[in-house]
Amino acid sequence: MITLDDIRLKDFTLENLPRLKELRRLSFARKPEICIERARYVTRYLRDKDDPGDAPEVRQARKVNYFLQHKRPVFHDRNLLAGSTTSKALGAPLFPEFFALTLWPELDTVSTRAKNPQKLTADEARELNLEIFPFWMDKNVLEMTRARIGNAESLKLFESLVFFIAAKAGCISHAVPTYAPMLEHGLTGLISMASEREAAALAHASDEGNRQADFYRAVQISLEGIIKYAEHLAEEAAMLASVADDPRVRQEFLDMAGICRRVPAGPATTFREAVNAIWICQVGIHAENINMAMSPGRLDQLLYPYYRRDVEEGRLDTGGAIELIGCLWLKIADNVTMVPEASEEMFGGAGTVPAITLGGVDADGEDAVNDLTYIMLRVTELLRIRDPNVNARYDYEKNSKEYCRRVAEVILNTKAVPAFFNDRANITALQGQGESIEHARDYAVIGCVELASSGRDYPASSSIMLNLAAPLEMALFQGKRPITGEEQIGPVTPDPATLPSFEQFWEVFKSQLDWLIEKAIELNEEMGRVHQQMMPSPLLSAFFEGPMDKGRDLIQGGSLYNSSGATHIAFADVVDSLNAIEQTVFIDKKLSFTELLQMVKADFAGPAGEKMRLYLKNRAPKYGTENPIARKNARNLVRHLFDLYQAHINYRGGPYRPAYWTMTNHAGLGRITGALPHGRKSGELFASGITPVSGAAPELTACLNAVADLGGECVPGCWALNIKYSPEADVEKMAERFAQTIEAYFRAGGQQVQFNIMTYQMLQDARKHPEKYPELMVRVSGYSAYFKDLNELMKDELITRTMYDLTNGRAVPYPAEKGGK
Amino acid sequence: MLDLITEQAQKKLWEKFNSSLTSEVAEEFLQTLLTLMQIVFVVNHEYRRNLKNFTGRYQFCSKNGEVTIAAVFHNNRMDVMEKKINRPDITITFRDGKTLLNFIISPRQDILGSMLRHDVETEGNLNYLYKFGFMAKQLQLMMPQPPK
Repeated sequence: MITLDDIRLKDFTLENLPRLKELRRLSFARKPEICIERARYVTRYLRDKDDPGDAPEVRQARKVNYFLQHKRPVFHDRNLLAGSTTSKALGAPLFPEFFALTLWPELDTVSTRAKNPQKLTADEARELNLEIFPFWMDKNVLEMTRARIGNAESLKLFESLVFFIAAKAGCISHAVPTYAPMLEHGLTGLISMASEREAAALAHASDEGNRQADFYRAVQISLEGIIKYAEHLAEEAAMLASVADDPRVRQEFLDMAGICRRVPAGPATTFREAVNAIWICQVGIHAENINMAMSPGRLDQLLYPYYRRDVEEGRLDTGGAIELIGCLWLKIADNVTMVPEASEEMFGGAGTVPAITLGGVDADGEDAVNDLTYIMLRVTELLRIRDPNVNARYDYEKNSKEYCRRVAEVILNTKAVPAFFNDRANITALQGQGESIEHARDYAVIGCVELASSGRDYPASSSIMLNLAAPLEMALFQGKRPITGEEQIGPVTPDPATLPSFEQFWEVFKSQLDWLIEKAIELNEEMGRVHQQMMPSPLLSAFFEGPMDKGRDLIQGGSLYNSSGATHIAFADVVDSLNAIEQTVFIDKKLSFTELLQMVKADFAGPAGEKMRLYLKNRAPKYGTENPIARKNARNLVRHLFDLYQAHINYRGGPYRPAYWTMTNHAGLGRITGALPHGRKSGELFASGITPVSGAAPELTACLNAVADLGGECVPGCWALNIKYSPEADVEKMAERFAQTIEAYFRAGGQQVQFNIMTYQMLQDARKHPEKYPELMVRVSGYSAYFKDLNELMKDELITRTMYDLTNGRAVPYPAEKGGK
Repeated sequence: MLDLITEQAQKKLWEKFNSSLTSEVAEEFLQTLLTLMQIVFVVNHEYRRNLKNFTGRYQFCSKNGEVTIAAVFHNNRMDVMEKKINRPDITITFRDGKTLLNFIISPRQDILGSMLRHDVETEGNLNYLYKFGFMAKQLQLMMPQPPK
C-alpha cells in the first residue's frame, strides 16, 4: 500500500539532506586503497592455528571467525550505520584464495599506475611480499585445481583466455542471501538453532550425522565471528562518543554503540536496527566470500514491516528513512575489487555489483510496490552512484503505471539506473527451472542481471563466461582459430567449403560449440570440487533456506535450488555471421564459402574485400530486425544452448543455466578476434550482452521484438539488453513514451532492458574531456560504471552503441568524431 | 664477496640492464636480468629477503629454440643455468626478447595482450611468475637514475 503523498518525493533533495550530500561528496573524492587486513588474518590463522584434521566447513568457519575477531572496527565518516567492508574508506579487500597474487608484480607500482591506481602503503606491500603471498604460492583455487587435474586441456583452454573464463578461479559469491530469519531471531537465535541441530545430528551416530554436526558447528563458529565484530564496533563507537566534542556527533556514536550491542546478535526491533543488522551481516558475509555480486536482494520487501511499524509508532518519518537508506547505499559502495593492471583491459571500471531489487509482485502474485520502493528509487536518483546496482521489477498486469513511469523517470534523471526486469517472463523462466511459483515470484537480481529466488537459490551464476566467436571460428577453420595459429583446438570438422547446405554448417558449428562447452563444464566441475574442500560457505549458508534443514553447506548442495550459470559473449555477432553465411553463401550464392573464408582470413583486405565486407555488413540479415532468417538463427542458438546446458547436472546436483551478459569482455575479446563473416573486421568490438550489433537494428520496435522473441524460458540466467536513447527536453513526455515502450517489450516477452540516456556526441566529449564529466555513470552490460574509469575499448563500445530517438523510434546515425579520439 | 663485486662492475651491469630494456635480443635481456638478480641478491640485504625460504624452478625458452635458460631458487640462493630442468614450477615460452620484456617488466607492460596474442605462453603455476615479475620490477625501480 502506498501512503506517500508524492511518490517522487521531490521535496527531499541533497540540499535538505546534508549528511547524504557530504557522504556522496566523500564517496566521489575517495581514492581506492587496497586493504590487506583479511589476507593478513586468514594467512596467520591457516599458518599458525589451522587443524587440517577438521572438516572443511569447520576450518573455513574458524578462519573466518579469526578474521572477524581481529577485523578493525572503523568509522570513517558520519554515516549512521556501523560497519565497513574493509579497514579503508574505499577499500579493495584481498582474497589470496583467489587471484590476489596477481597483484604481486605491481606491489611497488599499483599506487601510481596510470589507469585506476589503488593505494598500497610500502609497509603493506612488504608484508604481502614477504609474509602473505609466499604462503599461498600453491594454495589458491587455480593451483589447487591444477594439482588435482594437472595441465588438462580444459585448464589450458581457460588459461589461454580466448575461449572461456572459468570464473570459479576468482569467485563464486554471486548470490542473494535472505536476512529475514536473522532479523526475526537475531544471530544468537540462529546459533541456538544450529546448536540444537548439531546435538540432534550427533545423536544419529552415523557418518552423515557427523558431517551434518560439523556443518552446524561451522555455522555457529562463523556467526559468532559476526557477533564479535559487532561488539567491537559497539566498543569503538562508545569510545568515539566519549571523545566527541560535538553533542550531536556524540549522540550518533552512542546510538550506533547501542544498536551494535543489540543487533545483529538479537532480533531487530526498529527500522534502523534492521538496516544496520543487514549491513553488518553483509560485511560478515564478505569475510568469507569475495566481494563480487553478493546481492542484498529485495530490501523494499524485507525492510517494509520495520519501516511501517516505526512510521506508525512515530519513530520514523520519510526523511529519516531516506537518510538511512542513503547511508546504506553509500556503505554498500564502500568497497571495490582489486584489479591488477593486466586485467584492467577486460574488467577495468567495474564495481562489485551488489544488486538491489525493487518492486514486482509478492508471493501471492500481487503488487508488492510499497513506500520503501519509492524511497529507494528516490535515494537512487539523488545519489547517482555506481553501486549498489539497483533493479526494478515490473509486472505489467499487477504493478501500477505510475510505478513504471516513476522508474522510467529515475532512469532519465540518472541517465542509467535502474535496470528494468519483466516479472512475467522471469517468473516463468524460474518456474521452468523447477522453482515453485511462490519462490519464483520472490526472485531477486544477482550482480549484473542473473535471477534467483531470494535466499533459496545458490546459482554460482558467473561460473562460465564463454566466447561464442571461438567455436564459430573453429567451425570456419576446421577446429583452429586464427589467434592460436596452427594448433588444433577443437575437433577436426569438415572444410565448410565442402558443405552443401547451411544446415550442415550449422551442425559443424554446433559440434565445435558443444565440444567447447563440455570443456568449460568439465573445468567448472573440477573447480567446484576444489571449492568444496577449500572454500565452503558455512556463514553464507546460515542466510539461506535449505542448508539448516539439510545440514549441508551451500557448496555441497545445501540450498533449495542449486544451479551453475554460463554466460555468453558475442551472441549478436555470431548470429549475424550465421545469417550472412546462410543468406549470402547458400541462398543468394553471392560468393562461395571458399571466397568468404579467404576474405575473412585476409580481414576483407583490398577493394574487392572491402566491397564484399560492406555488402555483408549492410545487406545480410541482421539480428535485431524482423528478418526471418535472423530470427530463426537467433532462436536456434538460444534453444541449442539451453538444451545443452540443461542436460548437465553440476557437482551440487543442479542444472546449468545459460545467460547473456558480458560485463566488459565483449570489448576485450572483440579486440583479439579476427574478422567474421558478417562484415566485422578483425579487432572490432563485439556487441554487449544480448544487444544487436551496433548499427544493425535501425528500428527500435523491431529490435525490441527480435530480442523479446528469444523467449525468456530458454534464458533462465537472464540477459542484458543495452539500449541508448537520446535525451529529450521534456522529461515527463519522454518518461511516458519510455514506459509505453517498456510495457510493449515486456508484453512481447522481453526479460530485461537497461538504458543509457545520452548522445553519441556527449560520450565523445566525455572521452575527450573527462574532467567535465567526473560523475558520469553509464550502463555497461548489466552493471554501472563511471565512464572515466573505463578502458578505451569500453568507451568506444559505449560511444558507438546504437542510439534511438524515442520520438520516432528510429536509430540515429552515428556521426564521425571530429578530430579523432 | 661484497668486496669482489665492485661498484664499477655493478654500474656496468646496471647499464647493460638498462640498455637491454630496449634490445630486441631475448638472451641478452634475460641473461642480464638473471645475472643482475643474482648480484643484487648478494649485495642488497632488503632484496635478499625475497630469497628467504623460497623454492622455485623457472624454465625460460624462446619459441625458436635458441634460448633455454633455467633459474632455480633454493636454499636461500639463486642458480642460473643454460639447460632444460626437470619439474619446473613454471615454463615461460616467448616469441622474442621484446615480447618477454613486455610481459615481465616493461613500463607499458601488457601481460594480458601478450597472452592473448600468444607472444608469451606459460605452463605451470602462475604464482611463480608473479613473484618473479615482482623481483624483476624491483630491480627496475632500483636502477640508478642518470644524473639530471
